[in-house]
Amino acid sequence: MTDQTIASHVSAPKPAAKPARGIWRQGWQRFARSRTGMLGLVLVLIVVATAVIGPFVAPFDAQDQSPMLDPGAKAPPSWTNPLGTDRMGYDVLSRVIYGAPTALAVGLGAMSIAAAIGILVGGVAGYRGGTTDEVLMRFTDFFLVIPMFVVILAVVRLLGVAVVDTPFESVPYLNLGVIILLIGVFSWAPIARMTRAEFLRLKNQEFVEAARCIGATSGDILFRHILPNALPSLIVIIALGIGGAVLAEAMIGFLGFGDPAAVSWGQLLYFNYQALKVAPWASLSPGLAIFVTVLGFNLLADGLTDAFNPRAKN
Amino acid sequence: MRVFVFLARRLIFAIILMLGVSAAIFFLINAIGNPIELMMAETPGMTGEVIERMKGYYGLDQPPLTRYLLWLGRLLHLDFGTSIVYNQPVGSLIATWGWQTLKIQLPAILIALAIAILFGVTAARRQHSRSDFTVMGTALLGQSLPAFFLGILLIFVFSYTLDWLPSYGAYSTRNPLWGSPTLDALWHMILPVAMLTFFNTATLTLLMRSNMVDVLKSDFIAAMRASGIPERRVIYVHALRAAFIPMLTYLGLLIGLMLGTAPVTESVFTWPGLGSLYVAAIHQLDYPVIMGASAVIAFMLICTTLLTDVIYVLIDPRISLE
Amino acid sequence: MAGLAAETQAAAAAPRPPEATASPAPVLVSVENLRIQFPPWNAPVRVVEDVSYQVRTGETMGIVGESGSGKTLSSLAILNLLPPPARIAGGRILFEGEDLAAKSQAQMQKLRGRRLAMIFQNPGYSLNPLLTVGAQLAEILKVHEKLPRSAALQRVEELFRLVGITDPGSRLSQYPHEMSGGMKQRVCIARALLCHPALVLADEPTTALDVTIQAQILDLLEELKQRLGMSMIFVTHDMGVVARIADRITVMYAGQVCETGDKQAIFARPSHPYTQALLASTPRIDKSYAVDAQGRRERLPTVGLAATPGQSLGGGCRFAGRCPEAVPECTRLVPQAAAIEPGRSVHCLKRGSAGVPGHG
Repeated sequence: MTDQTIASHVSAPKPAAKPARGIWRQGWQRFARSRTGMLGLVLVLIVVATAVIGPFVAPFDAQDQSPMLDPGAKAPPSWTNPLGTDRMGYDVLSRVIYGAPTALAVGLGAMSIAAAIGILVGGVAGYRGGTTDEVLMRFTDFFLVIPMFVVILAVVRLLGVAVVDTPFESVPYLNLGVIILLIGVFSWAPIARMTRAEFLRLKNQEFVEAARCIGATSGDILFRHILPNALPSLIVIIALGIGGAVLAEAMIGFLGFGDPAAVSWGQLLYFNYQALKVAPWASLSPGLAIFVTVLGFNLLADGLTDAFNPRAKN
Repeated sequence: MRVFVFLARRLIFAIILMLGVSAAIFFLINAIGNPIELMMAETPGMTGEVIERMKGYYGLDQPPLTRYLLWLGRLLHLDFGTSIVYNQPVGSLIATWGWQTLKIQLPAILIALAIAILFGVTAARRQHSRSDFTVMGTALLGQSLPAFFLGILLIFVFSYTLDWLPSYGAYSTRNPLWGSPTLDALWHMILPVAMLTFFNTATLTLLMRSNMVDVLKSDFIAAMRASGIPERRVIYVHALRAAFIPMLTYLGLLIGLMLGTAPVTESVFTWPGLGSLYVAAIHQLDYPVIMGASAVIAFMLICTTLLTDVIYVLIDPRISLE
Repeated sequence: MAGLAAETQAAAAAPRPPEATASPAPVLVSVENLRIQFPPWNAPVRVVEDVSYQVRTGETMGIVGESGSGKTLSSLAILNLLPPPARIAGGRILFEGEDLAAKSQAQMQKLRGRRLAMIFQNPGYSLNPLLTVGAQLAEILKVHEKLPRSAALQRVEELFRLVGITDPGSRLSQYPHEMSGGMKQRVCIARALLCHPALVLADEPTTALDVTIQAQILDLLEELKQRLGMSMIFVTHDMGVVARIADRITVMYAGQVCETGDKQAIFARPSHPYTQALLASTPRIDKSYAVDAQGRRERLPTVGLAATPGQSLGGGCRFAGRCPEAVPECTRLVPQAAAIEPGRSVHCLKRGSAGVPGHG
């Protein structure tokens, strides 16, 4: 081995990496120009930062009900409790901060599940075509018409009763886990349809045929050639889905079917809504948190559309 | 003839979907445990013997498959069973409570559609103008504002702060407004309808605008203008018709899903609708109501999807009937 | 109806195409110093700059230029239908003695489809897909002539027959997607002729069609023009098409007029360097091309280098950047019309045009 070969070896990956980066770099440039997208990114980053750093800087612990004694329940905002206290004597600001990791866990968790199922089903349907496609797409249609929300409520409630006195009872955050799982399981259908459409579009393009000609395996074609090109469109729909999942969990919590062990914004609303007249801060703060999070992901998706699919918008 | 074949195919597919969805809901619920056992688990002092008698009374001592088929068979005679909590036929419960849901949901969709057309068309005609930007921005915000949070805000402002409108229920328990039960009912509808309207309007407006922008760019609109068709007719008859067709899918989805989202929106206003009935049934584990209501909710969605397909065929000459 | 008959008579009475010597027909449209701009308005993009030409009654004016030369915009300006945000920023469009550029949309609406009509490039897109062709054409008659539906449909059927649509009666109830491209363009031509307009604007009406259908449509337009005595502005990028259909030609480049004149004169003696280059680059059937020793056929000349976008809409003559004869003044001075033959003018400093310090 001479120095030259080493040198060429080191520099070799560079040109290969460039075209792969192109679409993302170009996308980022367009994204940076999208005002809505940047606003969305900022909002999402605020939520993420709150989720990550928040618990360390929150004035009170998540389960700390001591404000019940000092300013008392439903106390208006003050220096010690910047957003007041709620019906049960919690510090509202702290509870809202602790809600952020829950919301993100739901959004990311549910969408990971939905994306995994959706990309798999849609990808196979689109790539295989024929009867496989027909069967899988009918299956997808089926999931589109199941009233997800209604089913989730029933399952969460019944499960809550069924696990009593079973070993499952001691599983931490079991309820939340089930909610995440169910939201994921009922949200993959649009992702599958989008993946299928993208795969149908891409599989006959020349670069895929070229890959097939040089003897690439099916897996190679799918994961190295088709999927990366389908990703930009999928990212948009997944970003929208994260907002949707956060919202779905908030609605479940608001109806009182949330996980009692987890702090979630929807549940905060459920606990405090009855006292809206006396302690509006306790209801409005978590509501606003939900709004900001959903808005952030929706705007982010809007910016991503600008970035990767500028023709989809006029 | 071809229309009938097409309709028959769609109908058969809808029926299969209906069977599939009801079976899925049924077995998902039953997989968790026998409803009576679950219900009784929360009621202290229930002996095994009473539970067995209850099971027999509600036909829940059979294996799930038999029960599903029995339930399905009764459904064909529009018999949804009897509510355990209310001790009334589930069918009539759904009808009474469902009517309250339609009473706020349908007006909200119609008003939203009218607003969406007005704003969507205005924004599309002045693309990139200040008014376009305002409409788009408001709609984007509105899309992200959860309906139930909006409802809470409305109640906070109009009921608690200004004290103009009632915050809950469909009618006053005593002393109806101006002594008229009709006016009283309308008075109670204002806030829930406002909430649902705002929620529906956001997406409808964005869709209307983007469809209209596309249509207005098309050559046939330019050709109509060049033929001297008055601008009002070009926009509000021809362009609107073309822009409206792609909206049908979403509109169908909105109508189909209105029962599905009712649990949340109704609980904000304690509105005595199907959604509240369903939430109460789940809390109380009123198993026949859970099954009946979720079947009706799924049925609604499947029916509107079917109806959307049919309307497409009727109004869009380009769609071929397979 | 009476007006239409009188119109047809008048056209029949007028001697057809003015050969330079005969007493020329009256001028129908006169575009004078037309200027079309796009925003930003503090530094507007001048996509059409000082364009002037005249079309006489019964005459076909061919407007030739590459895409982006402003030929379509300047014809849309005649209908006052510029796509926003484009605006007419100056000049006049005199039609039957009135300035169309100064008219309101409401006034224009009464002229469009009645006195002025347009045929679009792509017949597939220019018909409303949701209405039967009969219904959408009848609506135009209802608007302009207040005809009841049945009478309107009868008139549409007559026009379908006129433009050579087979089985016109049953075509009325067909939707555009049920027709072929050529048939759709015939419908579009019928639509333009419904109220027997004085001027028809045809924007590349054959470009989207198959070659054989193109020839049929050109034949049809030629025949109709002679039968109905109407004037036509025919916009195209295809020298072969203008050679067939036009009486006079205006050559445009990047929003400026290069030269105007009779077809024969321009084809025989192109004056402006751009016209010369354009004609030289058009393959001709009556010319043999040399083959060199390696068996390679002689290559067609091309029109110089493409200009940079910024330069092409700058000051002076916009062709200067690609012009083989350009002198330094060309990028500074805008050439004005210079008459070089009767009925013929050219805009080129090297051909005797006066230069005016250019718009930046």
